[in-house]
Amino acid sequence: MPAHSPEQLNEDVLRPLVHTTWRFYLTAGILGSIVLAALAAFIYQVYSGLGVSGLDRPVFWGFYITNFVFWIGISHAGTLISAILRLTNAPWRRPVTRCAEAITVFALVIGGMFPIIHLGRPYLFFWLFPYPSERGIWPNFHSPLLWDAFAISTYLTGSSIFLFLPTIPDFALLRDKASGWRRKLYRALSLGWTGTPRQWHRLEMAMRIMAVVILPVAVSVHTIVSWDFAMAPVPMWHSTVFGPYFVAGAIFSGIAALIIAMAFLRKAFHLEQYLTPFHFDKLGKLLLLMSLVWAYFIIAERLTVWYGNESPEMAVYWSTQQGRFTHLFWFMVFCNLVIPFAILSIKHFRFSIAGPVIASTTVVIGMWIERFLIIVPPLERKYLPYSWGTYHPTWVEITITAGTFAAMALLYMIFSKLVPIISVWEMKLGWQQEAEASRPVASEAQLPHMIPGADLPAPGN
Amino acid sequence: MARQWGMVIDLDRCTGCEACVVACHAENNIATVGEDQAARGRAMHWIRVERYWEGNFPEVRVTYRPVLCQQCGDAPCESVCPTYASYHNPEGLNAQIYNRCIGTRYCGNACPYNVRFFNFFNPVWDKPLNLQLNPDVSVRSVGIMEKCTFCIQRIKVAEFRAQAEKRPLKDEEFNPACVQSCPPTAMVFGDLDNPQSEVSRLARSNRATRLLEEVGTAPNVIYLRSVS
Amino acid sequence: MKAIYGLYSDPHSAERAMHRLRSSCSALGFEVRNICLATSEPLDEFDLGWKEQKTAMPWLAALGGLIGGTSGYLLVSLTQRAYPLPTGNMPIVALWPTGVIVYELTMLGAILTTFISLLASARLPRWRKDVYDPAVAEGKILVGVINPREAAHDDLAKMLLDAGAEQVKEFASR
Repeated sequence: MPAHSPEQLNEDVLRPLVHTTWRFYLTAGILGSIVLAALAAFIYQVYSGLGVSGLDRPVFWGFYITNFVFWIGISHAGTLISAILRLTNAPWRRPVTRCAEAITVFALVIGGMFPIIHLGRPYLFFWLFPYPSERGIWPNFHSPLLWDAFAISTYLTGSSIFLFLPTIPDFALLRDKASGWRRKLYRALSLGWTGTPRQWHRLEMAMRIMAVVILPVAVSVHTIVSWDFAMAPVPMWHSTVFGPYFVAGAIFSGIAALIIAMAFLRKAFHLEQYLTPFHFDKLGKLLLLMSLVWAYFIIAERLTVWYGNESPEMAVYWSTQQGRFTHLFWFMVFCNLVIPFAILSIKHFRFSIAGPVIASTTVVIGMWIERFLIIVPPLERKYLPYSWGTYHPTWVEITITAGTFAAMALLYMIFSKLVPIISVWEMKLGWQQEAEASRPVASEAQLPHMIPGADLPAPGN
Repeated sequence: MARQWGMVIDLDRCTGCEACVVACHAENNIATVGEDQAARGRAMHWIRVERYWEGNFPEVRVTYRPVLCQQCGDAPCESVCPTYASYHNPEGLNAQIYNRCIGTRYCGNACPYNVRFFNFFNPVWDKPLNLQLNPDVSVRSVGIMEKCTFCIQRIKVAEFRAQAEKRPLKDEEFNPACVQSCPPTAMVFGDLDNPQSEVSRLARSNRATRLLEEVGTAPNVIYLRSVS
Repeated sequence: MKAIYGLYSDPHSAERAMHRLRSSCSALGFEVRNICLATSEPLDEFDLGWKEQKTAMPWLAALGGLIGGTSGYLLVSLTQRAYPLPTGNMPIVALWPTGVIVYELTMLGAILTTFISLLASARLPRWRKDVYDPAVAEGKILVGVINPREAAHDDLAKMLLDAGAEQVKEFASR
């Protein structure tokens, strides 16, 4: 099989690390300046006060918390999908896991910044963590924000390790191939890996344990994010469906982000041979499934509210169905259900790369809107009509939001320049297993012919 | 001695004059944010007078309801605060410790009454208004939440004076600024746990209702309103 | 440390070399644990020393989870009792909020233990030079013996070559 050449794989995966075109620098420059603009906007906000954002009373949370939930959701692309695929031993996962796990780590870093960005006094964010302070007081563990801090720290630690562990053998490979500063970097990162059976065995065992542990962590993280809302007695926040609803939405948007990242890597680094339409078909099916699950949840949420007909909830309900947010709501349904269903239910479109990418793009947009519609309309229409309000974002919030998308792309680009974006050893292992499975008698057939019996020393001699 | 401070507001007496709002601003050093900010919904009134119109023109009847922090027994704002800036003090008050606040604004979202306010900018008082600041009340900086305290500074002064004179604190010995300034005496303040107090007598009235009681907040502000 | 090793391009001949080394270790005067192997992918389909591997890592992870969860409970309950502040009419140490923190720290304990036990039992990071050849990165399989007896040197080289080694090399450090 010509496609299954380890030498070719080494070549293809290592090429992007050393060959950098002007397009890379141009893109990095543009993205970098957007990130700098966002940074400037944040500094301006800290300097002047949160009043430069569009927040008001009663809408105390807006774009920032939307971004927080959105990026934590995107982070479920990697670790969750990769852990599920590893545990079910889906052979097609091999070229996909690394790019998925990287999305997780970067999305978590970006999402985790938002609770700090949105603080009234961001320079005191460390008061959220339990440490013996001069103030003689510990944080309040009753607060869902504390749960968030613990869940996200655990998830970030876990998914960083989950990303790092299977990369160690690839760093060892790079150490032997690279030169100059890269060689030094990879020597440090490979931790002196040589590939003894003991090392391989422990690594595979560690990955198995990690996959089992990281799954419940991933589920708990987005459940706890949903509890930030569900624990407060706010109409249409205070709902038991929020936990699974948020987890499903997170996986949904995560798969979409993964498809977009894969298509980008495939094109930019010429990985057509490894990230094939077959993979896009598989992920496309998964995206279609999650789109239907998402639709099921939104129906379950909306129908019970409408049927129950409680006046505080109905005020929120009507503002999304017949009020200010109607167009946004139906646009969200169009992005998250109509487009993915139309494209991904047709086999021909699924196998084209463009089909899943278009569907994924609308899903990412739709899911951002979904988070916005979960957060803002209930706050605008909270109980006493006298204190209802409206929310309009300002340029500060829009710049910072744009900056996070740029930061994500930039971090991902830099990562793909330092780390092989396809797990080389796992690909080779896959081929080896395939080869062994396809010719099971080969080894026995070879052995007697190759080993003359006289060659074997007598036992106990 | 454990007390449960509470307030009764007689809606049948309230004329909507907003004297309570003005008194509250003066007593508690509440900043005025200016027209632009107020139009964006950032005005800070620890007590507000809600106006409701009943009926159709020309048969319109206006009713008023002063809404302040309800000093809930089961306050949603307290348990969501990660830094204990919002907590329950031993006298049943829903206290706000400004120095602990880092500005997550979670309490503001959790509050069903929208009576918690955020300092979007550093407050400024144009001269000579800076000279009328109440020295008993701290001035809040940018980035933190604030709300009605039942004039805790007055409660503390009265308690200390009673302690110094070695006598029990008398009911109606002092009043929060809003109660003190109410021309039709629609508001009564006192210890709800003391069955002899005026406030607990009124709270037992058959006109007594509590605002958004169904949310489960167990408010300590009681509204009196005849059901017609 | 010195070593002699052969480089193999297919796992079958590496397997063969392994078999022969094992069966002749007493004859040539070295221990089975002195046989060294380096590969660029885990070859657990072959008889190259994977089947003998055993580890307590899952149990360690469970233990780490237990320690994490216990410390989570202690953290929450001790700090809340150290400065008891009632909020929202909840108990000072409330069941559900404590449960969430205990859950997360159980998981964190298991994750960190897995990572540490991996490093400890795979003996990473190690900066001392181990028997290694950059050709392993090309997909070659390294099979050899650490610190062989001088006298057995030639026999070993022959044996490695006969098993199908493309090259037999020597390795020395320090």
